[in-house]
Amino acid sequence: MVYIFKQMLVKKSLHSLTGKLILTIGTLMVVGSSIFWYLLFRHQETELIQSSVKYGHSFVEYVIKSNRYGMLTFQQLLIQQTIEAIGSAEGVLRVRIFDSRGKIAYSSDKKDIGTVVDKKAPVCVGCHSAEGTHPKDTPTVLISKDNRDFRVLNIVQPIYNEVACYTSTCHAHPRQQKVLGLVEANLSLAVLDKSIKNQGLAITIYVLVFLFVISVVLCTILWNLVSTPVSLLTRGMEKVAGGDLDYHLDINTKDEIGELAQAFNAMTSDLKKAKNELVEWGNTLEKKVQEKTEAIHRAQAQLIHSEKLASLGRMAAGVAHEINSPLTGIVTFGHLLLKKFPQGSEENEDIQVIIEQANRCSTIIKGLLGFARASAAEKAPVNINDVISHSLNIVKNKADFFNIKIVTNFDDFLSKVRADSSQLQQVFLNLIMNAADAIEGKGTITMSTRNIRDNSGDWVEIEFRDTGPGIDDENLAKIFEPFFTTKPVGKGTGLGLAVSHGIIQEHGGSISVKTKRGEGTSFFIKLPAYKEMP
Amino acid sequence: MKKGIILVIDDEDIVRTSCSRALTPSGYEVKLAKNGHEGLSIMGGDKIDLVLTDLKMPDMDGIEVLKKIKQDWPGVEVIIITGYQTVDTAVKSIKLGAFDYIEKPFTPDALINAVSKALDHKNKSQQT
Repeated sequence: MVYIFKQMLVKKSLHSLTGKLILTIGTLMVVGSSIFWYLLFRHQETELIQSSVKYGHSFVEYVIKSNRYGMLTFQQLLIQQTIEAIGSAEGVLRVRIFDSRGKIAYSSDKKDIGTVVDKKAPVCVGCHSAEGTHPKDTPTVLISKDNRDFRVLNIVQPIYNEVACYTSTCHAHPRQQKVLGLVEANLSLAVLDKSIKNQGLAITIYVLVFLFVISVVLCTILWNLVSTPVSLLTRGMEKVAGGDLDYHLDINTKDEIGELAQAFNAMTSDLKKAKNELVEWGNTLEKKVQEKTEAIHRAQAQLIHSEKLASLGRMAAGVAHEINSPLTGIVTFGHLLLKKFPQGSEENEDIQVIIEQANRCSTIIKGLLGFARASAAEKAPVNINDVISHSLNIVKNKADFFNIKIVTNFDDFLSKVRADSSQLQQVFLNLIMNAADAIEGKGTITMSTRNIRDNSGDWVEIEFRDTGPGIDDENLAKIFEPFFTTKPVGKGTGLGLAVSHGIIQEHGGSISVKTKRGEGTSFFIKLPAYKEMP
Repeated sequence: MKKGIILVIDDEDIVRTSCSRALTPSGYEVKLAKNGHEGLSIMGGDKIDLVLTDLKMPDMDGIEVLKKIKQDWPGVEVIIITGYQTVDTAVKSIKLGAFDYIEKPFTPDALINAVSKALDHKNKSQQT
């Protein structure tokens, strides 16, 4: 109990749920007990007084009846002795008999005899409540206090006239007189007062003991059922708020608090699950954002590249038109002039140089036009193996290829590709010629085809591998840029790979390169596999 | 006797001159026009056997000239001269009735070869 109150004080528990409950219930119990105590006490007191009054009446009747004979025979001494004897009994303070004129005829205290009392005297006011009124003929009961603060019961009983009285030979009262006198008895209620006081004390002690026991039981119950679980819940909340989602409340009662604890544990577990999901989602999101960013960067780079190629294509178309006409003049007049000089003459040779250079210009222009053509492809399902074979047929008899070993690893079950075969041939020829240049006419060119499948679908992959010296890192990034070439002036236009890249891209594919210094280079072309309608 | 009268329509002077200088020594009579309208007015005046027309010209392009000639003078052969031949324009011009197309820059021999084939074809079709 002391521990509980200490705890309550420590935790300012008068403001706590338990504190409020204890305070409310305690107050109700104290008030209720007080009312109960008061009512019970009053009831007991009233009951005891009523019994005393009843006893008082019997006592007065007893006094009258004891003196009846003395009165009828008018033996005054007998009457006085009887009154004195009665008055000497324990608890009897005074007994007096008044005659009809208010004079004390007999008294347990002899000094009073002969005294006439006024109508206003306490003994008279019970009947003669106001001056001039006729006396009542009923007994009067008065309770006052003595000098020791004990109650005193004062009973005044009229002595009525009766046949025996007015027919008596002695001093017969007139018949018409109704009341002959009064008997007054003062009885001490000290014993009663003591009893009431003792009973009140006992009731008070019982109530206090009852209150104390109930308070202890109540505090214990509230502490165990409310305060302790609520403290545990609060601690749990603090832990969870602090981020400890593994905290488990160990309350297994079947009541509302138990249900609350279970709900709390379920909530913590849900929170933990949600937090884990969120963290996981955050990680995945970061990864996805990274992937998307990379994809966007790639797409941007490709877009810029495509845009560059497209502008170049448009420019090339215009340039081609403008340049080809003067070239026509140079070639035509060159040829006309050539006929005027015999073969082998210096002039003839000079003119041939002019014509060759003009034709070279024309080749460059045609290369440029590749960009414009890439967007005007005529596509049909084609077998890539066939296209490569045709390309090889064109080059294999050239002198440049005499010392080159050409190896083909074709997949016999290669899917078809929807493509413009002449454009693809242009791309393949370009890669074969580049490979031949890279190995400087001596080495192996291997061409492989295969079906591949990845997340984005089915593809046909073509690999062109050479045994050349490889490509420098600094050049690797630029090889698909227009006009970039490592070939000597006059040998390459720097447009082949750029145009090839444009054509492959226009076919929905991609071209990539892997190279290793001293070991060779592989170009990979990926084209979407054509799905024939069933 | 002239082998045939050839009309060259090209906005570029050098191309017109080149054609003229390449074809004249081989016995062809060559008439020149700077644009489609001029070419068509010559067509209306003289008897032309073959038209060589550039594809890309201001005002009226080679395809329009081709259509007009094939509409008004169906017997006249047309060869398209183009600076940047593409498969679709070549196919389109052949579908519209051109006999052949020739890419710039061309050599005199290539031009004479194409012209001679076109005129042979014209003569053969007229005989039948």
